Amino acid sequence: MKKVLAVLMAMVLSMAALAGCGSDKEESKAPETQADAGETKADAGETKADAGETKAEGGSEASGDPIYIAVAAPMTGDNENYGKGFYNAATMMAEEWNAKGGCLGRPVEIVQYDDKNSPEEAASIAQKIASDGNVAGVIGHFASGVCMVAAPTYQENKIIEISPSSSHPDYSGIGEYIFRNNTVIRTEAGAALDIAVNDLGKTKIGVISIMTDWGTSTGTIVEELLAEMDGVEMVAHEEVEESSDDYSPAITKLNDAGAEVCVCVGMYSLDGPVAKQYKAINPDIQIIGFSNAYDEQLLELGGDAVEGMCFPVLFYSGSDDPAIKSYVDGYTEKFGGAPSALTSQAYDSVGMLLTAIEECGTTDSETVMKKLYEITYPGVTGETKFDEIGDVQKEFVKMTVKDGAFVPME
Amino acid sequence: MIVQLFNGLTLGMAYALIAVGYSMVFGILRLVNFSHGSVYAFGAHAALLFVGFQFGLLPAAILSLLLTGVLGVLIDKTALEPLRKKGSVPVASLITTIGISNIIQNLLTVYFGSERKSFPAVFDFGSFKIGDITVTSKQICMCLVSLVLMAILVIIVQKTKVGLAMRATEQNSKAANMMGVNVNFVISFTFFIAGVSASIAGVLIGGYYEVVYPTMGFMAGLKAFAAAVLGGIGSLPGAIVGGLVIGISESMAATFLGSTWRDCMAFVILIIVLLVKPNGLFGKKGIVKV
Amino acid sequence: MKEKRTFIYNLEYYVGKFKLPLLLICAVVLIALPFLGTSQYIMNLVIKIGVYAMFGLGLNLLVGYVGLISLGHAGFVAIGAYTCSLLLLKAGMNFWLALLLSAVVAALFGILLGLPTLRLSGSYLSIVTLGFGEIVKTILKNWKGVTGGTLGVKPIPKPTLFGTSMTLANNGLYFIMLFLLLLVTLFCIVVVKSKTGRAFLAIKTDETAAVMMGINVTYYKVLAFVLSGVICAVAGGYYATTMGYIDPNSFTFDTSTTILSIVILGGMGTTRGIFLGSLILIVFPELSRALMDYRFVVYGVILVLMMRFRPQGILGWKSQVPYKLSKRVKKEVEG
Repeated sequence: MKKVLAVLMAMVLSMAALAGCGSDKEESKAPETQADAGETKADAGETKADAGETKAEGGSEASGDPIYIAVAAPMTGDNENYGKGFYNAATMMAEEWNAKGGCLGRPVEIVQYDDKNSPEEAASIAQKIASDGNVAGVIGHFASGVCMVAAPTYQENKIIEISPSSSHPDYSGIGEYIFRNNTVIRTEAGAALDIAVNDLGKTKIGVISIMTDWGTSTGTIVEELLAEMDGVEMVAHEEVEESSDDYSPAITKLNDAGAEVCVCVGMYSLDGPVAKQYKAINPDIQIIGFSNAYDEQLLELGGDAVEGMCFPVLFYSGSDDPAIKSYVDGYTEKFGGAPSALTSQAYDSVGMLLTAIEECGTTDSETVMKKLYEITYPGVTGETKFDEIGDVQKEFVKMTVKDGAFVPME
Repeated sequence: MIVQLFNGLTLGMAYALIAVGYSMVFGILRLVNFSHGSVYAFGAHAALLFVGFQFGLLPAAILSLLLTGVLGVLIDKTALEPLRKKGSVPVASLITTIGISNIIQNLLTVYFGSERKSFPAVFDFGSFKIGDITVTSKQICMCLVSLVLMAILVIIVQKTKVGLAMRATEQNSKAANMMGVNVNFVISFTFFIAGVSASIAGVLIGGYYEVVYPTMGFMAGLKAFAAAVLGGIGSLPGAIVGGLVIGISESMAATFLGSTWRDCMAFVILIIVLLVKPNGLFGKKGIVKV
Repeated sequence: MKEKRTFIYNLEYYVGKFKLPLLLICAVVLIALPFLGTSQYIMNLVIKIGVYAMFGLGLNLLVGYVGLISLGHAGFVAIGAYTCSLLLLKAGMNFWLALLLSAVVAALFGILLGLPTLRLSGSYLSIVTLGFGEIVKTILKNWKGVTGGTLGVKPIPKPTLFGTSMTLANNGLYFIMLFLLLLVTLFCIVVVKSKTGRAFLAIKTDETAAVMMGINVTYYKVLAFVLSGVICAVAGGYYATTMGYIDPNSFTFDTSTTILSIVILGGMGTTRGIFLGSLILIVFPELSRALMDYRFVVYGVILVLMMRFRPQGILGWKSQVPYKLSKRVKKEVEG
């Protein structure tokens, strides 16, 4: 009998010890969730304090349970600039609402999640958001591929997702809760080629595209569009690794093929170095980029080489429109740099979501989702209205670099 | 075609510069120093920081060389030497260097941001034509400077007293110790030289492509290591040859197979060479005594 | 050198003494876990822990018992994941058959790579395996007709059992994970306790001596390499179906180092160490989302400190004690 008791005691002890070590799955999970919740609360506390300050200025009071909006995007890693931009824009929009007395009279809080632009992390974050179940909507996921991994989870759990950046044609078709505040690739590629062919009158086109899901899709669409055009020839199409710095083999190939225009399917981090390396061997080459070239970093990376480079954008921060001007000034003052197009789309996305909630008078996701299809939102990136699958159509502004600054093309 | 060859040559020189650091450390410690790639990125970022202080590129470069050399010594003294003293298994040191690489790379990301940053060009005097091919001055200077640096390293290893001690340690560290060689000093010195060479590579390559970023050392480091093994690890001329072979084959792969295949060329060639000559092209044959 | 009787030693001692009841409790807890109202997020995390434990167990055969370091096991994971999901998606094959076939494919690759390269010594082998991982990635990226290139493979159907789709919601995925994990664990234990396992250990301890004892070193090295590759491939194939989406960037050098770190942290040459390592390394990033920027710095610090102060891993003391002879051998020696 004593022996049995001893065994039992030892078992209980060792179990407790195991739990202490964090090796027992069940036991260790519980404190984790609590700690996590604690963190979120602490985080929320900060935002609240912030909102409190704004309130003092604004006058009217926002009270009650806050409305949470999640921003899920890469906050660390290679694309952290975009994620941080999304978060900044979202907090700025939330503060504006809080200053006006909140949404439905409740304060708005932004919660950030770091998906590191990895599908694996995004899947886990989507699960987490779905499990927590207190979020009125998700702004984010940056890359199309990442969005498309997370989206089914949101759809399944009736959570509204608005991606300010996804451009893959299949994304918004995943479900009715899935929206995007960005144009599809084809529209943008068409606008970019329009610059090359109609505005600049070039006919021999070379393409350099990065090897990411976006780059591959866009590269293929550019090829298709070029094949449809009369009198225009695609002389070469080279794919390059996102992480390489040496683009000279691809550039040499394009140059040997006699390209007059180099269409760079990539971010500013591709455009700058390609422009530099291309201009070193052929100063007359015309570089065409995509809307994600529109970033102050391009000027820094490209220097003189990006002078004269052209690309289409949805948002021009130097616009004379007073609404855009006050937004750009506010953002620049707060975060020390002009907002990019994608950041501005994130800003509008939060605005749209909050407007829909306010108009519905509830945060019930099904009602809000239906409302989102109805409203037309006058945003800083233009009048925005979702079509039946949750896509938007927008007008492009053609931009170029002149004397080291972004100006609209003439 | 000739242009591509020249592109490959320049790239190969860049790899060779990073490869010598691997080669020297491996020669003495039989250790794949995985942190070397991030030390290289650190060198480039240190130079970028000092350039920001506005006292010219050259002093900035020299300061960063020293700082990076010290970082190399620091890595050895804080993390690797205790392991040697304890007589740990080799895998422990390997994992440690992977950990250090993680630390350096992510600290760089925290303080400098992950995006690509513009770096001042070095040796940029425009481009000129030889026949009908265009070559930039950067490419030529890059090759020349690398060759000169390699020559200096060879002189240090072959002609100086420290170099003699290094070679002695490499052959048999216990015997060298008994002959009065301060082995720990030699190892620290090797790490210092490896750090300095990594930093030189960082400044040169950063200046060549005019961009630096925290993860720049990852792929470049792996390929450089492949180059070092290819040439016969521990051999400086081997590092140059290995670097050139990999650089040119990458550029050829990009020409004939497409740019996207180039990243694995280094490893394909490496595997083939190791199967034929397990000690690399210039490697000494190891003798296992029973 | 005798290990001091530390807290962990005592813990291990009791765990070893009351193995059976503890195992039973663990089994009950694990089976009951989904019915205790745990959220989908936690279940997802537990599945991830289980999958990485399988990866770790696979690599452990190579690292822990034969003493060879592979830095390219993500390559095997990728081969398993792609074979399995392509067979599911394009050939409409049964999940279990697809999993079996991906194991076969991984075994072929293992032999192909292992035969020529395993005569290389330690560090060279590491770099070759690292190269293998990168080559697999590059091929996956470029072989667009089959793998879809950077667009990846999606949507990967969930496995079915008796006509029902196994999802996260009905806990099917979780139980498949438990089943596979159990299978892999038992397999590893059986291998290690067998003649093969003793040959592995002999090679690890002293390769030259092993040759003298008449052990066919190359054969056993390739065997260990293939077995560990197959286990990773099976786990990879399963993981692909739980993710529903894979692309070449899901399997990078980071994945390989994570798997290696799990083995090192938990303790090379132990089984429960791998579970603990997987638990810590997978839960840690989730816990420290607030630390954000510094997360990977801390990760690196953990690796460095572990190597410095406890290179045998948290639960690694057992690998220091003499090899336990089987009863039959003992009888022969004593008798």
